[in-house]
Amino acid sequence: MGTRRILLGLPLAVSTLLLQSILWVPTYEEQTRGNPGRLEEFIQASIGDAAVLNPILSTDAASAEIEQLVFAGLLDRDEHLRLRGKLAESWSVREEAFFSVPAGEGQETEEAERVAALLRRCRAQPDGLPPEVRASLANIEEIAVEPPRRERREILGASGETLHLHLSIPPRLRLLLTRVDPDLFPRLEVVVGEGYFLRFRPETHLEAVPPLGVEEKRRIAEELLPPVEHNPVIEFRLRPGLTFHDGHPLTAEDVRFTWQAVMDPRNLSPRASDFEPVKEVRLPDPLTAVVVYKRLHAPALASWTLGILPRHRLDDNALQAEALASGKDPASFGIRHSRFNRQPVGGGPFVFREWKSDRHIRLERFAEYFEGPPEYRRFSFRVIPDLLTQEMEFYAGTIDAYAVQPHQAARLAGDPRFQHFSGTSFAYTYIGYNLRRPPFDDPRVRRALGLAVPVEQILEAVLYGQGERTSGPFPRQTPFYDPQVEPLPHDPEAAGRLLEEAGWRPGPDGLLEKDGRRLRFTLITNSGNDIRKSILTIVQDAWKRLGIEVRTDLVEWSVFIRERIHRLDFDAVVLGWSMGVEPDLYPIWHSSQTGPHQLNFVGYRHPEADALITRIRQEYDPDRQVALCRKLHARIAADQPVTFLYAGKWTAVLDRRIVIRERQGGEIHHRPIEATATGNYRYHFHRWVKLSERPLFTVQ
Amino acid sequence: MTAFLARNLKRKLVTLFLVTVVSFLIIHLAPGEPAQVDPLNPKFTPEMVERFRRAFHLDRPLPIQYVLFYRDLFTGRSVSWKDNRPVLEKIGERFLNSLPLFAAGTLLTWTLAFPLGIHAAVRRGGFFDRGTAFFAYGFISLPGFFFAYLLILLVVNTLAVPVLGMETYGFEDAPVLYRLNDRLWHLLLPAGLGSATGIAVLSRYVRSQMLEVIHQDYVRTARAKGLPEETVLYKHALRNALLPFLTMFGLLLPGLVGGSVIIESIFSWPGLGRLAYEAILARDYPVILTLNFIAAVLVLLGTLLSDLLYAAADPRIRLE
Repeated sequence: MGTRRILLGLPLAVSTLLLQSILWVPTYEEQTRGNPGRLEEFIQASIGDAAVLNPILSTDAASAEIEQLVFAGLLDRDEHLRLRGKLAESWSVREEAFFSVPAGEGQETEEAERVAALLRRCRAQPDGLPPEVRASLANIEEIAVEPPRRERREILGASGETLHLHLSIPPRLRLLLTRVDPDLFPRLEVVVGEGYFLRFRPETHLEAVPPLGVEEKRRIAEELLPPVEHNPVIEFRLRPGLTFHDGHPLTAEDVRFTWQAVMDPRNLSPRASDFEPVKEVRLPDPLTAVVVYKRLHAPALASWTLGILPRHRLDDNALQAEALASGKDPASFGIRHSRFNRQPVGGGPFVFREWKSDRHIRLERFAEYFEGPPEYRRFSFRVIPDLLTQEMEFYAGTIDAYAVQPHQAARLAGDPRFQHFSGTSFAYTYIGYNLRRPPFDDPRVRRALGLAVPVEQILEAVLYGQGERTSGPFPRQTPFYDPQVEPLPHDPEAAGRLLEEAGWRPGPDGLLEKDGRRLRFTLITNSGNDIRKSILTIVQDAWKRLGIEVRTDLVEWSVFIRERIHRLDFDAVVLGWSMGVEPDLYPIWHSSQTGPHQLNFVGYRHPEADALITRIRQEYDPDRQVALCRKLHARIAADQPVTFLYAGKWTAVLDRRIVIRERQGGEIHHRPIEATATGNYRYHFHRWVKLSERPLFTVQ
Repeated sequence: MTAFLARNLKRKLVTLFLVTVVSFLIIHLAPGEPAQVDPLNPKFTPEMVERFRRAFHLDRPLPIQYVLFYRDLFTGRSVSWKDNRPVLEKIGERFLNSLPLFAAGTLLTWTLAFPLGIHAAVRRGGFFDRGTAFFAYGFISLPGFFFAYLLILLVVNTLAVPVLGMETYGFEDAPVLYRLNDRLWHLLLPAGLGSATGIAVLSRYVRSQMLEVIHQDYVRTARAKGLPEETVLYKHALRNALLPFLTMFGLLLPGLVGGSVIIESIFSWPGLGRLAYEAILARDYPVILTLNFIAAVLVLLGTLLSDLLYAAADPRIRLE
């Protein structure tokens, strides 16, 4: 009878069809060994797919990884994390400084000429002046007087109405400095007189229609006509003959375009805060980009590691054409909508070839890459959303690298087929205290709490040794971290003494109290992070032993951020920060950033720290910046606004056949892969090759 | 019949509207920001977060957001917040990937479950019945990812062939016949696993339904007429046992969207279920809501379909 036959025959036929396919599938063996092309391809596995392959738009790690290969920035970091030129052959930093002279109406030009002459004279004959003033004067290359001019502007007022502003800009002195000098004006005061620059009243040069209140007028005038102005200038010299992957030349025009694209409000670029201080980008010739800044902002230099976009693909003309071709509204069509984000064209070592969503991204080496093409012919990025299956593919040799977990690395530790790397990550975990609330406003209590935390035990029991102690806000492997600053030791007795000193004494039930109030608070963290959850328990136990009543709570991430962190509604939190190389601590540690929705949610305020943080942002000299950072590190460690726990470690495993190829003249030889001093084992990636046999290196 | 359809459709449209409202509210009242906004990134100034919110209409009142969202959805203009690609394009692409998995799994489930269930019912209490019961409950109660891992480990270690994804990586240059078979091979394990659970559940239903009808008078009559056992079981008995399955068959449709997130993740299968899962993690509201809308439509269509099938199969039911 038919029904039964169909019900049995159909699945049987389908199963047979599916099963016979095994005969056609290549085995791992055929894929890896029988395929010479496989040696020339590096396959990276990733849990998640990239989102947008455009350096000015992406915020996720997977996209950043691909962008680093497809795009190239003006600058780059060297082995010691110092900036070095990439697309830029060289760069120099100088400054244009301006100030307005305080004088009565009609006498400004005279006064300006007088001060200019005075400064020129002092520069020529600096005898008798203090040495730092002499240094500042010697740094001035040129002194000029800018003639007065009038300007009209329209801005939006506080209540949304249009304000017509008439500015009569008085003559200003323009000083060209050979290097940035944040102390210029205080030092010039020695010459021109104490408080000279503050005597200039910007509001007297402003007329507004409709008229403004005194305070608002002064605020607007200060903004438009600051008495003194630092305009740092970075001049980049591009390498000659650079091209994008499509053969179009890469010039300073593209540099300016990239800045414009970041700042274009339609593009909603998450990099905008890096480039906001840029005043203009001048292009004296096609290979020179002169970036002028509105104010001192040292982190600006590092922001030029951003990949340069091809103008000819993304400017208004190109976007219009693309919008029309795809039948979209050209008015609302921006870079965010362009198909460029899925088919990027850059100037980096690898050319984009193919992206299949949630499957793979393929890159091929760029033969005309200015540093020489990479040794690998292809780079592939495979999306494998499961950790265990990633590991199996790695064993089978069909992927070369994946985010190996510490326990997986331990499994492979003894295997002679693999080489291992590990290093400290650019992140740390800490216990933050809400310094606005007692008892955390007392530094002795914070120190006592820190002393009581058994960090070594946490490292041992929770992280299986995959972490390192840290004592301050900078990544351990950067020079900004001061190794002289010791982390707090684990010393519960000293903690007890400190608490007693702060007035907390055991009550009748053995719990600490002061003025009849118990020492009690809640320690919270986000749910879903097992490590933080374990820390919560260990810390709670350690503090309970001191006689503190600690409650703990786990909160879902978005609620945690929105209801607790952003609203500053917490006593103590376990959290982590991950950082870049740049030592800018302004958003996280400056006292101006302590409001709701800001990142200094612990509420750390210290005038010395504020001064250092601001100064670090203004210091263009790397060595002096390091010295300032180390001072700041010591300052924060002394205050203990948070208890710094540890910096996590990462691990990596590679096939031992992957080595570094050195070409010297016509000779080729190989050496094993080594991590740089700062722990970056991929630093020489463009020179990696995979050999068909495991190499034997003699131990040197 | 026409009157029934009109009435039914009207009611379904009301339900659909309520579903869109409720799902929209749930998503928007849950805390969290779209993944493009990172509240703890120092580079995100509050003004920028505000600008993002404006660009995504998140600053507007909820009713307006609702109207804007569904306007964009119906005019095909809604884009994913994760990568700015049109939502329908993303879903369409994944739908085609999920389709073979769904088709193969469904086919195996809805064929094999019947002979297995019938056989178990006929030999009630026998060795075959107990054996299938054991395996069925095993598949039902143990999580799917457990079998998936076991199966992958087994296949990879014994046969040393790749099983992940939709095709062998780097096999694009092979002849068409090889590539076709390669795809079939990659279909085998996830479809097999998916259908195993399906068969386990469905065959238990078939068994219990058959047990109910197998002792009815008309079955005895059929046997008494001297019909072959196969005809008795597969024609006279099965047809009467089939009715409850029409409901289940109708509910198959939404499975197209829900798919199997876990199987797709473990096998790196770029299907719809994974798209939905990742959209939820990234709080990609347009993708989540669109998929939700499609799922709702499919559920309603499925119920309509089973209503119609009932009428066709059961002469006692009239649709008026």
